[in-house]
Amino acid sequence: MAGRTMIERLRDPSEKSLGVLLLAPAFLLLLLIVVYPIATLIFNSFFDMRLSGGSGGFKFVGVENYLLVLKDPDFWNATGNTVLITLVTVPGALVVGLGLALLANLPFKRQWPVRLALLLPWALPLAFAGLIFAWFFHTEYGVVNDVVRRVWPGSEPTMWLLRPNWAFAAICLTIVWKTSSFMALILLAGLQMIPKSLYEAAEVDGASRWQQFWQITIPMLMPSIIVALIFRTITALQTFDIPYTMTKGGPGNATETLAMLIHKTTIDYLDVGYGSTLAVFMFLLSLVVTGVYLKRIGRNA
Amino acid sequence: MTIPQGKGLIVLAAAIVVVNGFFPAVWILLTSLKSEAELVSKPITWWPHDPTLANYVQAFTDQPLLRYLGNSFAVAVLSTILSLFVASLAAYAIARLNLRHRRLILTCIVASSMFPLVTLLVPIFQTMRALNLLNTYTALVLPYTVLNLPVCTLVLVSFFQSIPKDLENAAMIDGCTRLGALWRVVVPLAAPGVFTAGILAFVNAWDEFLLALSLNASASMRTLPVGITLYQGEFTFPWPIISAALVVAIVPVAVLIAVFQERVVGGLTQGGPEGLTARGA
Repeated sequence: MAGRTMIERLRDPSEKSLGVLLLAPAFLLLLLIVVYPIATLIFNSFFDMRLSGGSGGFKFVGVENYLLVLKDPDFWNATGNTVLITLVTVPGALVVGLGLALLANLPFKRQWPVRLALLLPWALPLAFAGLIFAWFFHTEYGVVNDVVRRVWPGSEPTMWLLRPNWAFAAICLTIVWKTSSFMALILLAGLQMIPKSLYEAAEVDGASRWQQFWQITIPMLMPSIIVALIFRTITALQTFDIPYTMTKGGPGNATETLAMLIHKTTIDYLDVGYGSTLAVFMFLLSLVVTGVYLKRIGRNA
Repeated sequence: MTIPQGKGLIVLAAAIVVVNGFFPAVWILLTSLKSEAELVSKPITWWPHDPTLANYVQAFTDQPLLRYLGNSFAVAVLSTILSLFVASLAAYAIARLNLRHRRLILTCIVASSMFPLVTLLVPIFQTMRALNLLNTYTALVLPYTVLNLPVCTLVLVSFFQSIPKDLENAAMIDGCTRLGALWRVVVPLAAPGVFTAGILAFVNAWDEFLLALSLNASASMRTLPVGITLYQGEFTFPWPIISAALVVAIVPVAVLIAVFQERVVGGLTQGGPEGLTARGA
């Protein structure tokens, strides 16, 4: 082996060197676009660093940014909104998604319209979902208020996107609509893997449909449910597109999420030091959820 | 659950799912056909009384919509090709080679997708700004490639694993080198998997908003989601024109998933939920 030339090695490499060769591009990219940025982020969070002219500067400030974040009402407002959106939309999407999956699992003669109806919301950009639903919730010309008026004549139109609580509700509804198709697709795949024989056996034993649902469907579906929940939670913590396109965080900053605050601080105000510190907090928040997930993959290995 | 009896029930179930999936798209299509005057008449109409295509003409002339379409295509196609290339190499190594820590390697790749994009945004923005790459395709293609690496790798690993190793061994006995066997036997057999992973990657890149908004905000470099969101009328938000632009933007991906829906669903189940890489909301 020792005497082989470089060309020979390339032509018929050993398992290990081939492995390194094949994995190198992936890991180089991860290094460049994930590891290096995270390291930079943590480094920058200890600096006063503004890219805008005039007040521009680059000064080591220790943990001052961190102390500022903890005292920043905008940070707590955005974190509160983010957590609340997560707590509302993740279970919401699970319930709606499970309902859709159960309906879509029925034996249709034609599968494609149902399948496409689940795929279309999944493939729709979040920003588009936000725009479309903003139009639905338009005070004057929105279809939501039109339906309300038809059902309930003479009622005052709700100013959905202009009142903090209504805006919050509209955003949560939109997120649930958009993400429940993701849930439904995962749960449908899970449903289709449950052996039919289990239900036949239960039928023979005289179990009601309700009992079958709780005793067979839900337990057998649990692995899919848990993975779907973890994924949805991780992405819910990053909520940006839908509130951005529906309210831009308004009215005031009533619907501003942590991701929106980071975006505003960094991209609009070019305050990279403070933005980085906010992002570190975001990172820590999601690390908790990621940890739970990775522990699961490790267990299933 | 067992099948509820009755045909009516099944039709009702299908109707619920279909209406839930399609009503936003249908409503936006109807809106796009209404004139400005009809749109602001009260009470609002559901069905356009006097359908017009004027909004479509205006959507293309008011803003460089064609340019947005082109940008979205370029960025999505380039990043898809790049992530398929990188992911198929990595997936082959993980699925086929006798490496230690294979599980750990896969976990590392998948875990990268768990980092919130917005935390990567700040340093990526800084780097691209320093390198003068803001408002270029490169600024989006590189991050999107990495964004799609986990999905593509997961889908491809499961495809490679489903190809019998004997086929490859037979090729090597017949005198192929390992790489030769990879190229002549494994890659052709994995083509459906590569295609499926490609669709998922394309849709992900096509939909991405946060990075595109932050890195490529100049009018000529916007992708569709950014371009349409930043569509500004002179006085108000021009809803009929936006609706027309939305229809134009939704059609390509809708056709793609309608034609290849079985592959997409297959890919989603193959790559597991990771295959969906549902980004933020």
